[in-house]
Amino acid sequence: MTDGPLIVQSDKTLLLEIDHPDATACRMAIAPFAELERSPEHVHTYRLTPLGLWNARAAGHDAESVVDSLLRFSRYPVPHSLLVDVAETMDRYGRLQLLNHPTHGLVLQGSDRAVLVEVAKSKKLAGMLGGKLGDDTIAVHPSERGRLKQALLKLGWPAEDLAGYVDGEAHPIDLAENGWKLRSYQREAVDSFWAGGSGVVVLPCGAGKTMVGAGAMAEAKATTLILVTNTVAGHQWRRELLARTSLTEEEIGEYSGERKEIRPVTIATYQVLTSRRGGAFTHLDLFSARDWGLVIYDEVHLLPAPIFRFTADLQARRRLGLTATLVREDGREGDVFSLIGPKRYDAPWKDIEAQGWIAPASCTEVRVTLTDEERMAYATAESEERYRMAATARTKLPVVKALVDKHAGEQVLVIGAYIDQLRQISEYLDAPVVQGSTTTKERERLFDEFRSGVLKTLVISRVGNFSIDLPEAAVAIQVSGTFGSRQEEAQRLGRVLRPKADGRQAHFYTVVSRDTIDTEYAAHRQRFLAEQGYAYSIVDADDVPSA
Amino acid sequence: MPVSLADHLRALPDPELAALIALRPDLVMPVPGDISALALRAQSRLSVARTLDSLDRFTLEVLDVVRLTRTPETATTSVEAVLMLTAESRVAAGPVREALDRLRALALVYGSDPALHLVAGVDEVCSPYPAGLGRPAADLNTDAAVLVSDPTRLRRTVLAAPPAARAVLDRLADGPPVGTVAASALTDPESDSPVRWLVDHHLLVPIGVDTVELPREVSLLLRRETGPLGPLHPAPPEIEAPERQVSMVDRAGAGQAMEVARHAEALADVLAAEPAPVLRSGGVGVRELRRLARATGLDEPVAALLLEVAYAAGLLGESGGETGDAVVLPAAGFDAWRVTSLAQRWARLASGWLLMRRMPSLVGQRDDRDRLLPVLSADIERVGAPAQRREALGVLASLPPGAAPSADDVRAVLSWQAPRRVVRAAASAGHEAALAEAATLGLTGLGALTSYGRSLLAEVEAAERLDPDADPLGISAGAPPSKAVEALDALLPAPVDHVLVQADLTVVVPGPPEPGLAAELALVADAESASVYRVTADSVRRALDTGYAAADLHSLFGRRSRTPVPQALTYLVDDVSRRHGGLRAGSAGGYLRGDDEALLAEVLADRRLAALGLRRLAPTVLISPYAPNRLLAALREAGYSPVPEDATGAAVLTRPRPPRAAARPSVPSRRVDDPLAGARLTPARLAGIVEQLRRSDAAVRAASRAPAGVRSPGGTAGLTGAQAHTQAMAVLQQALREKSRVWVGYVDAHGATNSRLVRPVSMGAGYLRAEDERTEMLHTFALHRITAAVPEEASP
Repeated sequence: MTDGPLIVQSDKTLLLEIDHPDATACRMAIAPFAELERSPEHVHTYRLTPLGLWNARAAGHDAESVVDSLLRFSRYPVPHSLLVDVAETMDRYGRLQLLNHPTHGLVLQGSDRAVLVEVAKSKKLAGMLGGKLGDDTIAVHPSERGRLKQALLKLGWPAEDLAGYVDGEAHPIDLAENGWKLRSYQREAVDSFWAGGSGVVVLPCGAGKTMVGAGAMAEAKATTLILVTNTVAGHQWRRELLARTSLTEEEIGEYSGERKEIRPVTIATYQVLTSRRGGAFTHLDLFSARDWGLVIYDEVHLLPAPIFRFTADLQARRRLGLTATLVREDGREGDVFSLIGPKRYDAPWKDIEAQGWIAPASCTEVRVTLTDEERMAYATAESEERYRMAATARTKLPVVKALVDKHAGEQVLVIGAYIDQLRQISEYLDAPVVQGSTTTKERERLFDEFRSGVLKTLVISRVGNFSIDLPEAAVAIQVSGTFGSRQEEAQRLGRVLRPKADGRQAHFYTVVSRDTIDTEYAAHRQRFLAEQGYAYSIVDADDVPSA
Repeated sequence: MPVSLADHLRALPDPELAALIALRPDLVMPVPGDISALALRAQSRLSVARTLDSLDRFTLEVLDVVRLTRTPETATTSVEAVLMLTAESRVAAGPVREALDRLRALALVYGSDPALHLVAGVDEVCSPYPAGLGRPAADLNTDAAVLVSDPTRLRRTVLAAPPAARAVLDRLADGPPVGTVAASALTDPESDSPVRWLVDHHLLVPIGVDTVELPREVSLLLRRETGPLGPLHPAPPEIEAPERQVSMVDRAGAGQAMEVARHAEALADVLAAEPAPVLRSGGVGVRELRRLARATGLDEPVAALLLEVAYAAGLLGESGGETGDAVVLPAAGFDAWRVTSLAQRWARLASGWLLMRRMPSLVGQRDDRDRLLPVLSADIERVGAPAQRREALGVLASLPPGAAPSADDVRAVLSWQAPRRVVRAAASAGHEAALAEAATLGLTGLGALTSYGRSLLAEVEAAERLDPDADPLGISAGAPPSKAVEALDALLPAPVDHVLVQADLTVVVPGPPEPGLAAELALVADAESASVYRVTADSVRRALDTGYAAADLHSLFGRRSRTPVPQALTYLVDDVSRRHGGLRAGSAGGYLRGDDEALLAEVLADRRLAALGLRRLAPTVLISPYAPNRLLAALREAGYSPVPEDATGAAVLTRPRPPRAAARPSVPSRRVDDPLAGARLTPARLAGIVEQLRRSDAAVRAASRAPAGVRSPGGTAGLTGAQAHTQAMAVLQQALREKSRVWVGYVDAHGATNSRLVRPVSMGAGYLRAEDERTEMLHTFALHRITAAVPEEASP
């Protein structure tokens, strides 16, 4: 019996004891095929999923090496059935290949005739396949390339897409590496994406996903369509591209609700693409407006369902997905895999943090005790009102103030979900508030002031959840949120995880009302953060020094 | 001189006879009357077939040789003849003699070396074509006989056969020597099929509309290369199985064994929480199986297998059969089992599997009546299942350690060992299921038999062979420590007694927990997977409910955790325990309340009221198990002045009232003394009554007008019943002809005598139809009921 760091369970989870001397080697070995599910302080949980195993196959790992890693690092005998299952699952990837046939164009080729026959008979593929070109080859309608891959994945026979890409309209783009360089992991991410052709790069918030995008553009040297979540994120991309690449103002266009520019590099928002008039998508022409050589999807985990449909038609173009997490709340990870591509690069948050790129963060839950009056009001409230009652209790105000005072001199963000409460806080702290109704111009002004340090404290609503860059926010105080969604938590944490100029520690406070439903949601949050490996502590509001 | 089997058996020494019976126990079930009866049974079709089933391929081949070499005159053969023929197939004499000895020991063949007899049943049971050879040409057809009598011509004809025809010949020569063809190929003269060619050249002989047979001589000619018997198989097929490292095999198997023991325990736990109802026809239904599978995260077939194995191992049982709603739940032995070592737990399950008769692989299939076969039912019992499992594993055991033969290889060996049995699909499926199940249970790993599995197999077989009478008092029952358990123990991780507690409130057990730890964890945390538990508010509450205090939980985590207990967990325990018991629920029969605390204190202290069992809930509230009425009465008697209150808290003040009967309507009820006041006679009803009266009266009168002969049951005076009847028939016939009216006397359905004046309309089929002019109705009389008939004019 070896004394390895890994416990392999028959439910396909792997438990890695990280204090074990071999833990690092083991993590390196299993990271390519197992998905990190939880990373609390002692034992990390990885999961073997078909998608993860296929991702590994796409990256060139075979079943033998996977089984070998499991056996080598396992502390206990590994159930035989699990090994069989791993081998069988991995064997499914690549039995079918999409190829570019010199005379017939796009074809589906099977190395296993039975599989090809099986899928050809499937009703789910009706209309996607053309005539048989031989025992092992079936013609594919080029327009169905994406949908075919989706359908095959659902059938459990994911196809390897080797049909290649069009180069698109060439456009000179170079990285302007004057005084800075792509970080080593960003370089690796760009290289593995380029080698794979299309796919997703998973990096935590603040790890410089934009730079990976820029790096990919410099490799492609072609016109690029960048899809982002909202206008502010689009502006940030624009700023970064101007600063870090040879691109000039005139070469970058913005395609949003406000402006409709199509230039060699065009940044479009999901919102404008998915807007409809009379039931029809009105901005679809954008995809064919130029001969794009590269399409970049920012925040793939938020990609709206219609974009998947458009993407199915873009299979001949190189596609790069950028995200902090492959986990989608709607469970469409399979569509990301088949339409954008397999995962090409992944670095666990904590690793990047250890390399010094992300500020270490400490998470603290501050519990306030409601006044008797508030408790009575809460106790008799309607059930749908209760969370709001608990989350917006006025008792939180002095605590928020105390926290802000404690971190005097640092950049503090106060984040909340309820406008009334945010306004109260804004008055109480004498700090401006950014909310949905704030104009883009006003927002940018406030953000600029905050960034430059003129403004020390900023109160923001849920508009702050996505893709705005507030580099010097060292402290975030959350006063209310939408029911403990993991997604939101990752985003909010991202707000304070951006690298700090002086390497200071970031602080993430959550103010919750004791003995209310607010505490229950806080428990979800606590679980998520603890699973991500962050130190989490609970303090009483009375223990916050009112400096 | 021919010797009968009975004589042969009679002459056998006792030990040999006993040995025969030991080999063929079915001969003495029941014990036959005498040796002749024994001999008769030994030659019976059934017994011979059963014996042949256990023979390996080579012994059966030698038996075929015995059949072939019999001389037609004496129906006997000799060892020499057998050896001569087998030598032509290049088989050494040794194995053949051994095979003959086996056949002799089984009394399938008997007699001296020069005169070997074959028992009668063999020819009935075996194929009519020994060694795949057809009948001699002389027995089939004269043309063929002529052809084969000239070896040169025969050879020439065979060589002249076109390739397709030659292929047919070769196939039939390999045996069996008969084949079916499309009937047209034989009958249609125009047919140019290869078979047609062969038949035309007398190389094949048609023996039915669509069947042809290859004469023995042609077969022998075609078998020149291999010898007259075709290829013989003196040894089992060689298996070229991949060799796995024994340690890898053992580890893979041990991993599976751990899972099996854990899953069996999980299944039992699920059944303990909610026992599975037993179907009326026995077994546990498919929906229930699905539930169990889902709850334990297993596939349904694996869940079915483990249920059966756990049942066979005595871990599950049925209960509540008397009341008709029987359930399956963990048996009493389960608790003892779960505290034994992991290896022991596995060994109990695995031996249960080896010996059980049910075949879990049948679960979910349909029987001949298209019913789904349920798990844990007698429907999936197969007597041969334990033997099939041991046969399949026996093949693995016979190979060097680490050899991992494919299922096909195993089947090949098995079909050499007992070809007659393995040919059957059920047996083959049984072997396959056995191999698959052995892999699931961890008896095999990576396709090879594990070392501990090998030991267990040997131990189970040794236990089977143990003579239960040798040690009737169980003195030597202290079974030796099982080697299988020891070997598996060495492979399995040692149980751990500590955990790792993390800030996300998971508790990781880095290995199989020792029973004490497992019990504690089951109480304070919810299992997420085999090694991961999660502490939740619910699980903490559960622990508090069973009597743990917050301090106990803190010290439990502190003691068991090898890492510092995270702050979040401490907070959780404290939070839950702070609220635990914050609300108390109970029941009471009645309460006393009042604003005067002193008064309530006085009542509570009043000894006269001790019987009320009052208890103080709050300074102003007392409760009692008794109903308010009793409280009021007792308090009033003691001199207090309580007031009852209703559910809303309002005082219920009542003035005493003299007793009264229940309210009743003021309208006087119907008077009973005046019967006429009752039913009101409406004109219509009156008319009806009158009509009724008139009719009955008319009937009575009409009856009275009828002649006496018709009225009396005795019929006309002086005549017997039969004569009267005949006379009545004549009268009726005449009346029918004359269309005149007659008086008819008859016995009605109630046995009463009646008469009626009617005009007959028709008579036939035993009935008289006649019209009663007075009521204008058509009556039907059964003729046999008519006692008399008198013409109208004849009546006075």
